[in-house]
Amino acid sequence: MIQMAHVTKTFPNRISALSDITLEVLPGEFVYVAGPSGSGKTTLLRILFCAERPTRGEVMVNGFPVTQKGFNKVHQLRRTMGIVFQDAKLLQDRSASDNVAFALEATGQFQREVKRKVSEILTQVGLQERGGEPVIALSAGEQQRVAIARALVNDPPLLLVDEPTGNLDVQITTDVMRIFSQLHEKGTTVVFATQNTELIRRYPRRTIHITGGRRLDGETAQDAKAEA
Amino acid sequence: MFFLRYFLLRAFKNMRGNLFPNLTTIGIITLSMLIFSTFSLIAFNLSSFLKIWENKIEIVAYLKKNMTSRDVNDLLRTTRLIQGVDSVKYVSSDEAFAFMEAKLGNQKNLLEGIQPTVLPASFEIQLTKEFRNSTRIKEVVSQLKQFPQMEEIQYGQEWVETFSSVVHILRITQWILGGLLLAAMTFIIANTLQLTIATRKEEIEIMHLVGASPAFIQVPFYIEGIIQGLLGAGLAVLSLFFVYKIFFLQIAPSVKEWMVGIPIFFLPPKTIASFLSGGMVLGFFGSFVASLRILKYSG
Repeated sequence: MIQMAHVTKTFPNRISALSDITLEVLPGEFVYVAGPSGSGKTTLLRILFCAERPTRGEVMVNGFPVTQKGFNKVHQLRRTMGIVFQDAKLLQDRSASDNVAFALEATGQFQREVKRKVSEILTQVGLQERGGEPVIALSAGEQQRVAIARALVNDPPLLLVDEPTGNLDVQITTDVMRIFSQLHEKGTTVVFATQNTELIRRYPRRTIHITGGRRLDGETAQDAKAEA
Repeated sequence: MFFLRYFLLRAFKNMRGNLFPNLTTIGIITLSMLIFSTFSLIAFNLSSFLKIWENKIEIVAYLKKNMTSRDVNDLLRTTRLIQGVDSVKYVSSDEAFAFMEAKLGNQKNLLEGIQPTVLPASFEIQLTKEFRNSTRIKEVVSQLKQFPQMEEIQYGQEWVETFSSVVHILRITQWILGGLLLAAMTFIIANTLQLTIATRKEEIEIMHLVGASPAFIQVPFYIEGIIQGLLGAGLAVLSLFFVYKIFFLQIAPSVKEWMVGIPIFFLPPKTIASFLSGGMVLGFFGSFVASLRILKYSG
């Protein structure tokens, strides 16, 4: 599902975010990308959804050669994945339903289909009663669930998640993690970036450790395959 | 057709959802277009005014006395063949005298005892359009001077030269000012549209994240730009029309009397149509320039 080979990312201000990262995530896996703040987790995810281009190295996501010269199918790549951030990135002046529907409308789906899918996905994340309320009136946990619903509404095979529980209390974190676990059980591949070691301990999965832009474990693609 | 309808609906929905930035943009486009259209109206009337005066440029050739009507007819025929001559009118001594009497009105008794033959007969020579300037009129005059039957040739040399210089300067000024105004207007509209788009940065970022195609994101902005340009230009022309009407209502009757013979026109329909389509082109161009940076497909 994801292959990264010798990926290095150096920003124009010469700050090195990633250095010679090689990894592989297989379809259906749940993988943590763990490391302290500033270790390069977010940059790694941004490369996966093509918001950043690596300085060196090869990346293949869902069959898209994102590092290939002249690659211009970013929107097609993003339709194959859902993305969830720590700050939910919702349109605050719109309702929960509208935020979720926005993802469907933006990909040109018909209104009748949009209504049905929004209703289904909001039920799945436990927000069926609050769909009509403006996002600003929802709690942080509910807002994060709206963001998850938006990421999932197109039924993507891959979910990229960047510190989604960073702002949430223990109870809400448990609820959110339950949603991710259910998704994984249904076959969705999840790449979950976090600095929360307690979370990893409570919900153990394969973990790729990054510090200072380098992999700590030195795991290779073959190791990943074997472990998976 | 389906997509056009869809994009139009989305553009209108976006405009309704972002009413204040859109109204601000339309207001700024209206103001810019109003300045430009006011300038155009002044330039248009100035050109019309110059054309009226340009039509008055003519040559009067006074004929020697005692010419037979056959000589006059021969000379008339030859004069009409000169390049640049549009028409020639023969004015006899009697006609000239009658004209003078009419001009003097109540004071025509001043002409008592004067014989009409005192006044020489003349040719009033109208020129074609391209010869109504200080350089080319001289070409016609030099040819007329070859005819010994012509006593004197007058064309108000000094006046024609001054008029030609004024026309030349005004036309150059019109182009330079018009060009500068157009450039300033394009710059202002592009920046205003950029601000409108910037207010929706969050929405655009989310569209990028969920995989909206570049066309899906950009086309409604272009349509919005075109609609804003059209509305702005339409409002500008409408405002200018009211200003034009109010201007006439405000003119004092004494000034109106003085202005008889100086018609002041409103912009002709063709120019109004050009303004409206120009507004749409500017709106599209402005949103295109504005979108280059903000709508670039990234994270």
